Amino acid sequence: MADIGASAAAVVAPVPASMPKRPGMLRRLVREPVAAIALAIVVLLVLVALLAPWLAPTGPFDNDLSVALSVPGTEGLMLGADGQGRNMITRLLYGLRATLMMGVASVLLGGVVGALVGFAAAFYRRIDGLLMRLMDMLLSFPAILFGLAIAAILGPGISTIILALSVATVPLMARIVRGSAMVVMRQDYIEAARATGMSDARLILRHLAPNCLSPLFVFATLRFGQVILLGSALSFLGLGAQAPMAELGAMASEGRDFLFFAPHIAVIPCLLIFTIVLAFNLLGDALRDALDPRLRV
Amino acid sequence: MQQELLRVEGLRTVFQTSSGLVRAVDGVDLSVARGRTLGIVGESGCGKSMLSLSIMRLVPQPGRTVDGKVLLEGRNLLDIPTGDMRQVRGGQIAMIFQEPMTSLNPVHTVGRQIVEAMKVHSPKDSAAALKEQAIAALKRVRIPSPERRFDEYPHQLSGGMRQRVMIAMALACRPRLLIADEPTTALDVTVQAQILDLLRELQAETGMSIILITHDLGVVAEMADDVAVMYAGKVVERTSARALFEDPQHPYTLGLLGSVPRLDEDRDRLLAIEGAVPPPFAFPDGCRFNPRCPFAIARCRTEMPPLRLVEDGHEVACHRAPIEKALAMESAA
Repeated sequence: MADIGASAAAVVAPVPASMPKRPGMLRRLVREPVAAIALAIVVLLVLVALLAPWLAPTGPFDNDLSVALSVPGTEGLMLGADGQGRNMITRLLYGLRATLMMGVASVLLGGVVGALVGFAAAFYRRIDGLLMRLMDMLLSFPAILFGLAIAAILGPGISTIILALSVATVPLMARIVRGSAMVVMRQDYIEAARATGMSDARLILRHLAPNCLSPLFVFATLRFGQVILLGSALSFLGLGAQAPMAELGAMASEGRDFLFFAPHIAVIPCLLIFTIVLAFNLLGDALRDALDPRLRV
Repeated sequence: MQQELLRVEGLRTVFQTSSGLVRAVDGVDLSVARGRTLGIVGESGCGKSMLSLSIMRLVPQPGRTVDGKVLLEGRNLLDIPTGDMRQVRGGQIAMIFQEPMTSLNPVHTVGRQIVEAMKVHSPKDSAAALKEQAIAALKRVRIPSPERRFDEYPHQLSGGMRQRVMIAMALACRPRLLIADEPTTALDVTVQAQILDLLRELQAETGMSIILITHDLGVVAEMADDVAVMYAGKVVERTSARALFEDPQHPYTLGLLGSVPRLDEDRDRLLAIEGAVPPPFAFPDGCRFNPRCPFAIARCRTEMPPLRLVEDGHEVACHRAPIEKALAMESAA
């Protein structure tokens, strides 16, 4: 009996007025070795992509047909050359740049529009049904179909892919944001803020949005990996980056012709895509664990 | 009679639900005098909170205020444009809520939240001026070391402190009316007393009026000048606080008072009101209290009693009021 009383007292022990600061987001994130490695890979990839023009040994379109199809390890060509005799390292650096840019642009564009739709649906219950049925309609088309349709109208190209992937991201983001925003809308502080005469826009921006951010970030990170994969698939189908532009999916597509006698041309871009997607997925999972309030100590 | 600040006439707020039309507030008349405190008393679910939200025009969907007037210094708040109403909220009428633990946004510092609330009404003030005013507001609600508290998050404060912050936020723009919806229900008894003292002191300083919504008759006795007793969406008794405790007239009020323990009486048992508040989509015919009323007669089951004056400044909605006279006649007969 006394034990129970003592442990209960321990559980409800008052929190000291000046609590020590909780370890920061980043520190909680990198506590897991897997997460730390994933974060390191993401940072490295982004840095390399940004610095591509300075890191690349040759210009992106410089070719030397005499070394075409050289295997990795050839003198002066660490990763070999492609079918046109372009340095694979240069092509990979520029391809990475294009692929990451495509991913960032689609997740940003689709994510922002989707988040706005989600906030609007949760905030203005009157238009919730209409907005969400629209989202359901978008959700019923596969992203590849969007890519084909938009390419049919605008012609193939990297902006076509970005548009298609953004449209495919909007309904997913809208659903996730609406879900968490509806929970926040029921909180007393929303009503209290309303009672101070705050405008709707301010209420959404200051009180609603900041409390919905963690699922939003987690989803954006995970979605980034998916978008890269989808974008590469669309590029592989020839809807995306057009020759001679370097893009990882397009490079894999070009390498297809030489798969039997120079497999490195297709395999290396695919390995890079694999690494990007894996790193972002692991990072997204770790972010979810780090942001989950139930797992906080 | 003092000067009137707020007058509510025939206010009706309904909810259209799948189980029928819910009349949460059904024809309520109220009056709040300048610098005075009106207590609104009633059980859970009697429409007290919906009444206050109706005054603020913050009734949640699918509720609608369908009838009546809310006159603040003669201006009907139900008619003015939304933008003007926003200026009234927080500017002229402020509100504090029951749960100080959840009424503050956990992601912002308390200082920032007070500044936000003030910015709505004085958007031209500089950030530094607003911060100074916010610290002054914290000081006014007797928060120790307000400069430090300004940068703290809600989870670092105790319940009583948070309610003080809520009050500071509500009073930052010097409203003329404060609606306090169960401001002390979620707090410890000692903290309750401190908060009530604070509200009284602030009222004396600023001359604001208060609508105090509570189910705690002790709080009413301590704070209110006038009282309105609500039952099932209607005001059933309206008088001064003194008259309510000395000469309660409505059987429901009698029941409420009978269920409060008193030090100056020697009673073994407290009286309890039989039954529960009827669900608002299935109110009985006639007087809504009749199924629970020990004094009910046939007329109570068919005819809704209007609020009528039985004594000077004492209105009751009961066919049998004044009840002593009715009982005396009965025993004589």
